Amino acid sequence: MKHTLLGAVFAAAVALPAFANDYTIMAPAAPGGGWDSTARAMQEVMQAEGIAGSVQVQNVPGAGGTVGLAQFASTAAGDPAQLIVGGYVMVGAILTNASPVSLADVTPIARLTGEAVGIAVSADSPITDINGLVEMMKADPGSVSWAGGSAGGVDHITVGLLAKAAGVDPTKINYVAFSGGGEALAAILGNQVTVGISGVGEFLPQVEAGTMRMLAVSTAEKWPGTDAPTLMESGYDVNVQNWRMVAAAPGLSDEQKAAVAADVDKLANSAGWKAMLETKGWANTYLAGAEFDTQLAKEIETTTAILKDIGLVQ
Amino acid sequence: MSTFDFLLQGLAVASDPMILLYALIGVTLGTAVGVLPGIGPALTVALLLPVTYGLDPAGSLIMFAGIYYGGMYGGSTTSILLNTPGESASIVTALEGNKMARAGRGGPALATAAIGSFVAGLIATLALAFLAPYVVKLALVFGPREYFALMMLAFVTVSAAFGDSAMKGLTSLFIGLALALVGIDQLTGQARLSFGVPELLDGVEVTTLAVALFAIGEALFVASQGQRAEDGIIAIKGSVWMTRADWARSWKPWLRGTVIGFPIGAMPAGGAEIGTLLSYAAEKRLTKHPEEFGHGAIEGVAGPEAANNASAAGTLVPLLTLGLPTSATAAILLAGFQQFGLQPGPLLFATSPQLVWGLIASLLIANVMLLVLNLPLIRLWVSLLMIPRPWLYAGILLFATLGTIGMNPSPVELSMLLVFGILGFLMRLYGYPIAPAVVGLILGPMAEQQLRRALAISQGDWSTLVSTPVAAGILLAATLALVVPWIMRLRGKGAVLAQLAADED
Amino acid sequence: MIRVLTATKRRPDGAALTIAVALALLGGLLVWQAAVIPDKGGYAGIGSGALPRFIGIGLFALSAAHLWTAVKTGADPIARPHMGPVVWIVGGLLLQILLLRSAGFSIASGLLFALTAAGFGRRRLLVTVPVGVGLALAIYGVFDQLLKLKLPAGLLETLIFGG
Repeated sequence: MKHTLLGAVFAAAVALPAFANDYTIMAPAAPGGGWDSTARAMQEVMQAEGIAGSVQVQNVPGAGGTVGLAQFASTAAGDPAQLIVGGYVMVGAILTNASPVSLADVTPIARLTGEAVGIAVSADSPITDINGLVEMMKADPGSVSWAGGSAGGVDHITVGLLAKAAGVDPTKINYVAFSGGGEALAAILGNQVTVGISGVGEFLPQVEAGTMRMLAVSTAEKWPGTDAPTLMESGYDVNVQNWRMVAAAPGLSDEQKAAVAADVDKLANSAGWKAMLETKGWANTYLAGAEFDTQLAKEIETTTAILKDIGLVQ
Repeated sequence: MSTFDFLLQGLAVASDPMILLYALIGVTLGTAVGVLPGIGPALTVALLLPVTYGLDPAGSLIMFAGIYYGGMYGGSTTSILLNTPGESASIVTALEGNKMARAGRGGPALATAAIGSFVAGLIATLALAFLAPYVVKLALVFGPREYFALMMLAFVTVSAAFGDSAMKGLTSLFIGLALALVGIDQLTGQARLSFGVPELLDGVEVTTLAVALFAIGEALFVASQGQRAEDGIIAIKGSVWMTRADWARSWKPWLRGTVIGFPIGAMPAGGAEIGTLLSYAAEKRLTKHPEEFGHGAIEGVAGPEAANNASAAGTLVPLLTLGLPTSATAAILLAGFQQFGLQPGPLLFATSPQLVWGLIASLLIANVMLLVLNLPLIRLWVSLLMIPRPWLYAGILLFATLGTIGMNPSPVELSMLLVFGILGFLMRLYGYPIAPAVVGLILGPMAEQQLRRALAISQGDWSTLVSTPVAAGILLAATLALVVPWIMRLRGKGAVLAQLAADED
Repeated sequence: MIRVLTATKRRPDGAALTIAVALALLGGLLVWQAAVIPDKGGYAGIGSGALPRFIGIGLFALSAAHLWTAVKTGADPIARPHMGPVVWIVGGLLLQILLLRSAGFSIASGLLFALTAAGFGRRRLLVTVPVGVGLALAIYGVFDQLLKLKLPAGLLETLIFGG
């Protein structure tokens, strides 16, 4: 459907009939970010694989996706041709921003990609394993400064969960929020902080080069590319994945929901999507249907609890 | 193979006619999209990245480099001609550049920006090739307390460089600082001054404020002054090309801008804005024509533009040596690398030297191509200003709002544009300088966050701020910059300084 | 400040007084905000309330300085503005905000274009409105078709570019 300006004018004159399954995907973030690139990757693959005729991406940035979510819930209701991209960050943002619209107001379809959160130290740090780090936290939580992403985000939540699981008061953690991954990494490499926490992908090249040591990963299973233990294996009941998902509009009939889910399923299983994940370096953690619903409900519950424990949500 | 051999090999590959054609296409596309207001280099690269898919790696790489440089240069063109900076790093360029354009000197302003970008890009890319491992060691020394010290230095030198009345300059600065508080406090997640409006949680966008104060506020002001002759825009006065005097006044700022911009760009939390601001302050202090600052001083375009480009090359230092994307543009570049199968990281230079040197060679070639494309176009750009005033300003307002609508078409964001536009109009009417408000919005949050990070790491011990030689040294320099003018004034030189200051706008 | 010192004593400067009041109000807002938000300093000792308080106090000081100059030195002459053109342009911006969602980018921005031109003396809306809408449509086309950035679409855009 990539036609030139002039072509578009002619096309309008002829008024082509629209495909039955055209989609508009809302990226509740500014162009260029993670959700935007997910939406645009979906657009590309859905069109290339013939899953949909034409796919449009619409950006509505603001407040961790909650601005876009609220707009989507009200304007897309009942329209099966509208999708929204979201992620775990949204679960936290809905709570910390006290957003009136939540994920219960849309129809989550499937988790598409995800990444483990990694805990790492600079190579010349005296800390060698996760248990040593936790011992330090138990002795004096303030002395362990954590560099990670924004307050209330997935990194912060993971530290809170770890503290709680290890029997340390989560309000006592010394979490230092940095704006970009790069800045936090520099603070870790420059030994400005005790330990860093971020997406595993940020740390892996450093670990490979021997400048950093990965202490643990947050997922239930080991993460490809590192032999660092999971937090579960190390004896802390923490299982976090920073995932991205796609949801449909609220108020769909069961048939409409099934049709959207079928299209998303086709997308997730297509060769084009697998190639796309490969180029983007995203891990495939596709999860759909009732399993995804259960998982989502469980995560919303634990996230709410930990954000209260950290003191970010009243 | 030695460093130099790799570079020569890269240049040899890049001098193939097809490759040069790709470079030209890239630069043209980048410039064309970059001139759209509100679209900075990061977004330009993000939007045009798909164009480079499907070419062979060498061609793809060079087109990519061309888009990157074209996007940066396109942004300064609109800043200079229309006063609508598309990203925070070209705000300073707009200060003097737009004044020059209005006085019929848009040609020299665009030329000094283009050549300054070229010179800075050239030197900084070479510095990247040969000094990266040393620069990056320096950059890692900078932690929160050092950045805090750097912000203080920027505050002191920059606020000294604006306006004649300390009261009015400080008022403008504090308005900017107050606006900077709006939104979620990044360190605690606490919402401040957002009154339950979700759109306000992300705070005030720097480009929104800059475009509102500069472009909209000014349009309102000019309109309110009726047909008075002195407000008219002169499209071309004298030569479109730089005169001998322009060259003489530009070359030193180019070099100084490069020296300031490159290391600050290389620091993970430095950012291009700081480099451009410090360069502006330095040029204002060193110039032999201080009376022209605020009315279109060519040094004020040459220095910051060079600093901007040099710091863009500087961001590649942590990106290529450590794999750290430290700016939005660097993050997009990272995405670009991935399509070449390149995993940026500390091993990049060791594992894929061909590609890294190919990229560096491509940057050099694209830089030359940018100059080749843009110098002949300057006359065309400047003739934009010959459009009659009603049409010109109507177009400026359309483009000023377009930037905001393209990024975030929310009524709240547009209302901010309107409210700040009226604020800019009133500030101009009552003689308050505009720039300090934007500076406050840029530097305020950076200074606050770095201070609180430093204190969190030291668990509340304030002496941490002077506990390293670098931090203490920079704070000392900031103190001197504050105190020395005072002493000079007390020793009787004050009359001269006051005279100079009083002549400024 | 040189000019100010040489000025003869006149009636107090109304504008400076107004600005002083506005700055004090803004300062008050910040100090109030600092007081009501939970000031979680954590290990830093200073939290999210510290900077609002500091800037609020700074604004109070600037308000006092304005008050002082207003009473002490009187008004600086300012270039008297014509408010008519300002109203045209502000009206154009307001109209754009109101119409953007419903009428779409091209019509809303075309009206802004025409009203701004009117503010600068070109009042023939029959000419300026079509020119503005045409220009905005061309921009919409570039953004939508080439850059894949979706600007708010209305009837006109859907008709021409197929939504």
